[in-house]
Amino acid sequence: MSRISIREQIFNFMALFLIQLPLLYRITLGDRVFGFFYIGFLVLIPFRISRPYLLLAGFFSGLLVDAFSNTPGIHAGACVLTMYIRDLWLKIVIDDTEELTNLNHISLKKTGLLLYAFPLVLIHHLIIFLVENGGLHLFGMLISKTILSSLFSFTIIFVLNYLIVPKPRRT
Amino acid sequence: MRKLLDFLYRRRTLAIFIGLEFVCIWLIVSYNQRQNADFLNSSNALSARISTRSQNISDYFDLVEINEQLMLENEILQAKLNVRISFPDSVVQSSESYSVMGARVINNTFRRSSNFLTIASGSDEGITAGMGVISAKGVVGQVKSVSGRYATVFSLLHPKVMVSSTVKRTDTNCSVQWDQESYDLASLKFVPRHIGLKVGDTVVTSGYNSVFPPNVNVGVVSDINLEEHMTFYEAKVKLSVDFTSLPSVFVVVHETKLEKDSIEAL
Repeated sequence: MSRISIREQIFNFMALFLIQLPLLYRITLGDRVFGFFYIGFLVLIPFRISRPYLLLAGFFSGLLVDAFSNTPGIHAGACVLTMYIRDLWLKIVIDDTEELTNLNHISLKKTGLLLYAFPLVLIHHLIIFLVENGGLHLFGMLISKTILSSLFSFTIIFVLNYLIVPKPRRT
Repeated sequence: MRKLLDFLYRRRTLAIFIGLEFVCIWLIVSYNQRQNADFLNSSNALSARISTRSQNISDYFDLVEINEQLMLENEILQAKLNVRISFPDSVVQSSESYSVMGARVINNTFRRSSNFLTIASGSDEGITAGMGVISAKGVVGQVKSVSGRYATVFSLLHPKVMVSSTVKRTDTNCSVQWDQESYDLASLKFVPRHIGLKVGDTVVTSGYNSVFPPNVNVGVVSDINLEEHMTFYEAKVKLSVDFTSLPSVFVVVHETKLEKDSIEAL
């Protein structure tokens, strides 16, 4: 069990969360692909933090995002749900959680990060688009929007994670 | 009681989770109902200031487009001026008076399932919730809530906004409402089947609900569907406003609104 890397958290917060705020709904590809990559910051909070704190962190960062996008409650609700299932999901996907503290592409491996983070991003996006849409009408558009946007957000999170967390030097 | 507290403590994660989700649901529901919902929207000071900053930067890249739009606006105004001068209409004298106020758009979405604009004018300039917002090309939306220097506007691309309008050629009252599909199409409602609606008919505001002045462009009918059992046409309107580029808008101030509303409430 290693120590929590404060530096990594601060970089995650700045790169994934603070940059997202003014750019929410402005980072788009084509018609229906939105990047809500701020969820990456929440998903990558270290594993040892207790779950009530995780829920509160999700709630308040969601509310902050909501204040920028005229959607009070939608992002917050999606974040709280994501934070609730986060640790449960991590224990299912990763066999060996004893040694785990910081979550990044080194501790989880590439496939681990994909298996762990992508479904959470997908659920988060699905809830946002579902609530914003106000129901299940236009179902095809809803699903394609969710899947494409999640892929887009996940790619951004993945790339930024590579930039933030350097490969360990072999000596 | 003790047992209940013990139980809650053991299950605190679940309890906090359910509690927070309830707060979120309450926020979502109440935001849709209240007109003047508080601080949690894009017209609050912090988020509006940050939006202004980022808009300032992106405005530089849009200067060409803004100039073109201004030129177009000038042309329209010039054309109107000419009409005024050549045909003074003294037959129908309306006592209703509208004035407009220019406002800069600092945030605008059009790809979501419910869209909003944020403009950089607020209650300091005399804007109140419920006022109409137009651009040189047509109807844009309605003011939702205001703070001191900013206001949040329901875009016409919001499913809760319904614009009372008329088909210009036949003078038929109808409504235009967005159906969440595409940012340049809305649906035209309540045109009865005995009206000979045609593709290409212009739809303008009716001016009955004292939000928009009469005869502001809404769009052009682009698609018509009428089957045997239907009482009303199912029609689509191509919106005249291009929501993808809206550097500035006008807020409509209806000076005799209070008087009109009070006499209609009798």
